[in-house]
Amino acid sequence: MFAALVGRSLARHRALIAALAALLSAFQILDIVVAYNLQKNVAYSQFADMVPAFIQEAMGGALVASFLGAVAVGFVHPLVMLSLSCGAIYLATEPAGEVEEGLVDLVVARPVPRHLIVSRSLVVYVTGTLAVVAAMFATSRATVLWLTPDQAHVVSAPRLAWLAFNLLAVVWSLGAAGLAFASQVRERSRAAGTLALVAVFLYLLQFGAAAWQPLRPFARVSPFHYYPTMQTLMGQVTPTTQIAGLLTATLMLLGAAYVLYARRDL
Amino acid sequence: MADAVRTESLTKYYGPVVALEALNLTVAHGEVYGFLGPNGAGKTTTIRILLDLVRATSGSARVDGLDCRAASVEVRRRIGYLPAEMPLYREMTGAAYLRFLAALESRPVDESYRRKLFARFDVSDVDLRRRLDHLSHGMKRKFGIIQALMGRPPLLILDEPTSGLDPLMIEAFAETVHELKTEGRTTIFLSSHVLSEVERLCDRVGIIRRGRLVRQTSIADLRRETPRRLRVFFDEPAPPPPSSLSTAVRRSDPRHWELEWLGPLGGVLDALQGLPVSDIEIEPFKLEDYVLKIYSGTPGAGA
Repeated sequence: MFAALVGRSLARHRALIAALAALLSAFQILDIVVAYNLQKNVAYSQFADMVPAFIQEAMGGALVASFLGAVAVGFVHPLVMLSLSCGAIYLATEPAGEVEEGLVDLVVARPVPRHLIVSRSLVVYVTGTLAVVAAMFATSRATVLWLTPDQAHVVSAPRLAWLAFNLLAVVWSLGAAGLAFASQVRERSRAAGTLALVAVFLYLLQFGAAAWQPLRPFARVSPFHYYPTMQTLMGQVTPTTQIAGLLTATLMLLGAAYVLYARRDL
Repeated sequence: MADAVRTESLTKYYGPVVALEALNLTVAHGEVYGFLGPNGAGKTTTIRILLDLVRATSGSARVDGLDCRAASVEVRRRIGYLPAEMPLYREMTGAAYLRFLAALESRPVDESYRRKLFARFDVSDVDLRRRLDHLSHGMKRKFGIIQALMGRPPLLILDEPTSGLDPLMIEAFAETVHELKTEGRTTIFLSSHVLSEVERLCDRVGIIRRGRLVRQTSIADLRRETPRRLRVFFDEPAPPPPSSLSTAVRRSDPRHWELEWLGPLGGVLDALQGLPVSDIEIEPFKLEDYVLKIYSGTPGAGA
């Protein structure tokens, strides 16, 4: 029964997952090709001059203007983080879509316990985003190994893996928020749209906090605050605390999703 | 033995809107029960409470004695449901759709019975391989009926089952209901606006209006309680109605009378003896006439 639910949901969303995986993997290749050419042409100092200091700060400091930092951009670029976050949110909001389309009358009218619907969406958004990030990781790793210039620092696989896992933890927490919201509302567009806007706002909050001191206390509510990319790549930080915090928030939101879905009218 | 379906003081509010108000109904095992009411009367809300898709504000709903809320999964294990608006995974083929729904059933689906349903409802292998969004409304409805029936559940809840079906398929549906009724293992809870169909298929009806059960009775009792309409034609100018018919005559002109008569028709025939009667027309009982009075809130129609 559960396998059938998961299989059906994955089949419905396979195009989205495949498209995200393809686009974000292509982004890794593009990013590393650009980084390779900058390194080859000894152009990083010019590049650093072009990027405003607050953006460098927001993206992890001066390291961003290096081959190592440019590789990390594939995991820290707003396009990457937000598209992955929105993908997770969309996958997680399927319960609201099923209410909207009346599919609950088909599925939940059968002997399917309600918690399986939430568990199904949890499995789908977690495995979907995991597949996308795994594809990004594999592509990034392969491209780095292929294109790393002689003098450049190479990102080690464990460091890149920590970065990827930290990114997943950020995305999963937003997905869990989407699932909790979708367990209460009746329209998927409302659930996914609202949470996508919240994700953009939280990203901008963290980005803004890097540039403007008064915002920093508020940035703690943003999951992006717990994604120390450059420090992780440099080996200065192993983000276990950040990941644990994000996973704890994820679990709490998932708990809320189970409770809300169990109590709601479908 | 517990009733197949029983609701007690079932009430549901959607905010300030009253969907159901103290609904008490019972459906016996093996019965075909017609659940009637105008749009917005609360039929679908009742059905969705039985399926635990929505929760009652107060009161209880039971299937086979099991509480629809507390023993929700066990209750749904016993139900085959056809919603009025058939939800579909448009991208699926008919075969994949039925396979997916069969995987959600708690008991294995009898393949030979499913084949029998395909044959009865004229669903070919080609239809099974087509995407659902490429099928006609009637064909989608057939898939809806088949998915509800294929698990051979002890309780079938069918909401507007024949909507969009052609006359041949309506006949096939009626044949299926008769067959299930004869077997006696299945209770059928049927909501329909096609009153001739309800009259033909159902043993009892419950009529709901504005969330309240207005009447619950057997079709046989309704026939007995509902006045019959007769038209009596005369060869020559009709005499004044005899005293035994004077309250029954609704209209009269020199050549014919229109009467409404409750009870055995012998009394009318006795009263007409010796009069120059050329013809008598007796309208068959029509559930529609009775139900329409209730829907419109006509006093004395059970409301």
